[in-house]
Amino acid sequence: VTWAAGVCAGFAAAGITHVVYVPDNPLSHVLSALKAYPGIKTTLATREEEAFGIAAGLYLGGVQPAVMLQSSGLGNSLNAITSLIVPYQVPMLILISMRGDAGEWNSAQVPMGRAVRPILDSMGIPHTTVDSAAAVAATVELVARTAFDTRLSGACLLPRRLTAPRVVEEARP
Amino acid sequence: VTRLEATRLLVSALGSDQTTPIVASLGHPAYDLFAAGDRPANFYTWGSMGLASSIGLGLAMARPDRRVVVLDGDGSLLMNLGSLATIGWTRPKNLILVVWDNQSYATTGGQDTATAHGADLAATASGMGIRHSVTVRSELELKDAFTRALTQDGPWTIVARVDESPPSTKPPLDCVFIKNRFMAALA
Repeated sequence: VTWAAGVCAGFAAAGITHVVYVPDNPLSHVLSALKAYPGIKTTLATREEEAFGIAAGLYLGGVQPAVMLQSSGLGNSLNAITSLIVPYQVPMLILISMRGDAGEWNSAQVPMGRAVRPILDSMGIPHTTVDSAAAVAATVELVARTAFDTRLSGACLLPRRLTAPRVVEEARP
Repeated sequence: VTRLEATRLLVSALGSDQTTPIVASLGHPAYDLFAAGDRPANFYTWGSMGLASSIGLGLAMARPDRRVVVLDGDGSLLMNLGSLATIGWTRPKNLILVVWDNQSYATTGGQDTATAHGADLAATASGMGIRHSVTVRSELELKDAFTRALTQDGPWTIVARVDESPPSTKPPLDCVFIKNRFMAALA
């Protein structure tokens, strides 16, 4: 899958060597593509807040980490982000697989999907939405590099139209 | 044994070792660690309740060359029990999770935790696959378990039944200072 390979290339180019994640259907493509990158370790967390804690520990130990989660899991992460990641200036790449945006079929995903950007804004977490498969690698690398250089974690949002184009297509009337 | 006395015991068991990282959960565990002996390799959390063991896990994976000590509380660990499952799965040999079990949310006014009503955190840790999971009830048992954990491969969960003691001093409030000092000590 082109976009997923791009995510991995972006990780590698930014020097990310450990990815902590809570699984999600589109993100499974990233996990498959990561098999071509033996230098990038992965750890599955039981909950997104836990993933941020593990990633913070990795950074304190000298590793450049990424956290991958579905947009719904951002809600589970807020205390970790606001009372650990931001005040201690612990940088990481936050890769969010979007639900609830264009092409969604599950109404229970919509409220959080709509809230993701305002929530990130209110926490002061910069975010960039990836527009095309061709732009993924460069965008992921840039957001990650900016995070590590400035010690302010940054988010990369992967919209449904990128990660699930077939579902988006089928959702059309 | 009070939590402060027990914390002093662990810090003195490390002796002159100033580089073994210790991650302390927010509130009383962090205050007592500061009182027992401030050192650059202490990481005091001021928030993120429940995540001390997760921070310790990340640190243990990043630095397999070091023992990593976490001082958690029973209430805090109960907020993030999934962490035990992840530690049980990843099995970092160098992680020592110490849980101060005073059976209460002491920092917030002494409300009962579930451990006052039958919850057994060492059994939970064991059930999640954490190789060495023990409950200790005296200074002697704590010293023995901690000394073994410093030399025998883990991961370890040491649930220490402690009495509450009033916190004395607070660690530095500057989070970025705590982090920078900690990372420099480990570099």
